[in-house]
Amino acid sequence: MPVLDSAITSGVQMAWLAPALCVTSFMVLAIFGRLLPRWASVLSLLAISGAFVVFCYVLFEFLSIGSGKYEYWVDWFRVGKESLSWGMIIDELSVLMLGLVTFVAMMVQVYSIGYMKEEDRLTWYFAVQSLFAASMLTLVLANNLLFMYIAWELVGACSYLLIGFWYERRSAAEAAKKAFVTTRIGDVGLLIGILLIFKVTGTFEISEIIHIAANGGVSSGTLTIATLLIFMGAMGKSAQFPFHIWLPDAMEGPTPVSALIHAATMVVSGVYLVARLFPLFMLTPDTLLVVAIIGLITAILAASMALVMTDLKKVLAYSTVSHLGLMMVSLGLGGFTAGMFHLLTHGFAKALLFLGAGSVDHGTGGKRDIRELGGLWRRMPITTITFSIGALALGGIPPLSGFFSKDEIMLVVLNNGNPVFIVLTILAVLMSALYMARILLLVFLGPLKTENRDAHESPLVMTVPLLALSFLAVTAGFLAFGWSQYYEGFGSFLFYGHPEKYHFDPVVISISTSLSLVGFGLGWAIYAKRWLSAEAITSKLSPLHRWASNKYYIDDLCQWCIDHIALTFSTVVAVFDRIVINDTIVNGTGQSTFSAGFKLRYIETGKIYNYAFGMVAGMIIVAITWWLGFPYLDA
Amino acid sequence: MTLLHFQILSGALFCIGLYGVLARRSAVLILLAIELMLNAVNINLISFAAYSDSAGITGQVIAIFVITVAAAEVGLALAIILRLFRTNNSVDIEELDLMKW
Amino acid sequence: MSIVAFYALAAICLGGGLGAVVSRNVVYAAFSLLLSLMGIAGIFLLLLAEFLALVQVLIYGGAITIVILFVIMLTRSQEVRTASDNPHRPLAITAGLVVFGLMTAAMVSGISDSTTTQPIAFSDLGDSLFAQWAVPFEIASLVLLVALIGAIIIAKQNTEK
Repeated sequence: MPVLDSAITSGVQMAWLAPALCVTSFMVLAIFGRLLPRWASVLSLLAISGAFVVFCYVLFEFLSIGSGKYEYWVDWFRVGKESLSWGMIIDELSVLMLGLVTFVAMMVQVYSIGYMKEEDRLTWYFAVQSLFAASMLTLVLANNLLFMYIAWELVGACSYLLIGFWYERRSAAEAAKKAFVTTRIGDVGLLIGILLIFKVTGTFEISEIIHIAANGGVSSGTLTIATLLIFMGAMGKSAQFPFHIWLPDAMEGPTPVSALIHAATMVVSGVYLVARLFPLFMLTPDTLLVVAIIGLITAILAASMALVMTDLKKVLAYSTVSHLGLMMVSLGLGGFTAGMFHLLTHGFAKALLFLGAGSVDHGTGGKRDIRELGGLWRRMPITTITFSIGALALGGIPPLSGFFSKDEIMLVVLNNGNPVFIVLTILAVLMSALYMARILLLVFLGPLKTENRDAHESPLVMTVPLLALSFLAVTAGFLAFGWSQYYEGFGSFLFYGHPEKYHFDPVVISISTSLSLVGFGLGWAIYAKRWLSAEAITSKLSPLHRWASNKYYIDDLCQWCIDHIALTFSTVVAVFDRIVINDTIVNGTGQSTFSAGFKLRYIETGKIYNYAFGMVAGMIIVAITWWLGFPYLDA
Repeated sequence: MTLLHFQILSGALFCIGLYGVLARRSAVLILLAIELMLNAVNINLISFAAYSDSAGITGQVIAIFVITVAAAEVGLALAIILRLFRTNNSVDIEELDLMKW
Repeated sequence: MSIVAFYALAAICLGGGLGAVVSRNVVYAAFSLLLSLMGIAGIFLLLLAEFLALVQVLIYGGAITIVILFVIMLTRSQEVRTASDNPHRPLAITAGLVVFGLMTAAMVSGISDSTTTQPIAFSDLGDSLFAQWAVPFEIASLVLLVALIGAIIIAKQNTEK
């Protein structure tokens, strides 16, 4: 692909406006927010809509000037012979992410106007939403790793602020802390990886790094270690095993936040990172294998946990983790296009599902436990329809979008994976259909419980985003095909190596369709028609069920590690610091000087003959020392 | 009469003066002992000046300066002793221990 | 011949010195010091340093001793016999002896054996004092001035009240 620099001036350059608008909105709201309390949502919404308009313009320009990587940068500072710059790179990947982020953020902010209506700290909410949008956009546009890392950390910070938005609740504060700390552990790996790459290539610029690595400038051992470390950062943000523990707890935040950050945008930043550095990863097959394995473990583990969770948002959270695992599997087996396509469709569908869950929450007055819900289709028809579209899409029913992306992933796995991969991926796909069916049927269909009699449909401001996202969930799949001479299908738009067309493999299509149908059918049988009893299955598999509902005791393991390992270590360090450094070295020197002086002051007797004697004694000692030492003194 | 004779005389005078400084109780008497020490130094210098070939003038000039500075010092010391006498009504150094811990 | 003169003068110096540091009577001590200083002037003559002998007699014998006697007169308090006795006498004797031992040892081991003495001419001394040693000469005069002023200020009685 040609790499063109800023000599090409075109509208594509305007992409920097997208994050700039959001940052401006954040600053205005953060500083002057108190003066204009009712305008917070309007301002933030204006900024994100502006960003969306910028995306449309950039997309139009990009399609008209042809594909390629365009980089624009501004020099920031020089250290020695290294120079750091604010730069952005516009290629298919960043255009895709730009569109996803701006659209979903826009929908979520519109939705928030309705959902968060009675909040009193609304200004701060919209301010952090704008900051998040700005940092996420910067992350996808950044052209050097350092810049991306800065945006990465900012995104994590915004996630912390938004999860802990209702900080008066202890569980929310704990969840926010857990999210931040867990992703931070991954970020350490990311930073070391970035610095390692800088050390061997001498630059932070992504395209230069790829260029140098492709020409063999980096030894393969170093590259493997670096990519593994970078993947560690991706694992943290994208909630791969074993860093997945923060995502379900992050549901303590407001539902729009979950929809935006923990479904469509922040958690995919790990996948984006792997995709952006994909040429590097392709040079290290070991790392790719690790990526695929961890993705697979995550997918299976999370899907199994999603089957037994009873909180609606938690099921969706585990579902997100599972699908992120699937994306990693796809990337790990070389399926760049398939992974990114699934990212797109999953983003729309999952955001839709979360917003729908929020609508249920809003309509029933705060209920989230699926055992307390049921039969809501009578009272909340729009929510039911859109939620069903999302659930079916994610389950992989054709011709919804999820079907196409899942199909592509299945194809990649069948072509490149070994039998273990294939079997486990099939299991994960089956389970995803099953748990989707479970929540759909338990929440929306069936008899209406009496306590939910007063459930009402959500206001228009919340249902319009639902409808918009469901439209995309239906139609985004057709992006896989080519439409005109400008756009020949997703596979030719975003690819690695060579363009791919959408593969029509009847075997694979039938396999994936039947899997989804089996999953949904099983769900229908268990939960709707009660032909098979869910309780019977649970009791037969009760050890497994207990393990799954206790989240495989991973959380407890982490807590144990923290209590016994980390805290012990820090206690030792603290005691050492207090006793050795503070008391002995710092205070001790002062104290001993003081007490020495206190004891020694009795030398000053004030009497003249004492002083005279002292002088004489000193003189004698000096004389003797000199005389004895004189032969050893060389001139 | 060699140089050694004068040196030993000078050393003996110096030590007598040293004993006086350490053992006397009145400030004036200490001053007398100090004068004795200074003169011992002078003898030393002059004898070295006399017995050396090249440093004759230097030794005598330094001795002149020693006498000068000794005179100045005696004047000042006696002034201080007078002051001391006025405040304490005695020049006994055993009673002087105000500058102690 | 000069050996006899030397020993006589040495005896005078040492005797006067001992008298200065041992005598209980302050005035006797001051006069012993005068005797010792005159003996030293004689030693200077033996060493062919006539100018210095002159200066010694003039300044020490003429000025310093008189000033000391004045101060003795002005600070005469009750002369307690035992007031001249210092409880640290033994230690002082020891210190003196040790220093003397050290010095003698150093002198004996290091000193040259020449026996000829050089006279220094007056005019040479004067020349060097104003040529090579001019700066210290001037500074010495400054020192004397400062000492003079200082002594006046310190010893002044506050008679304004």
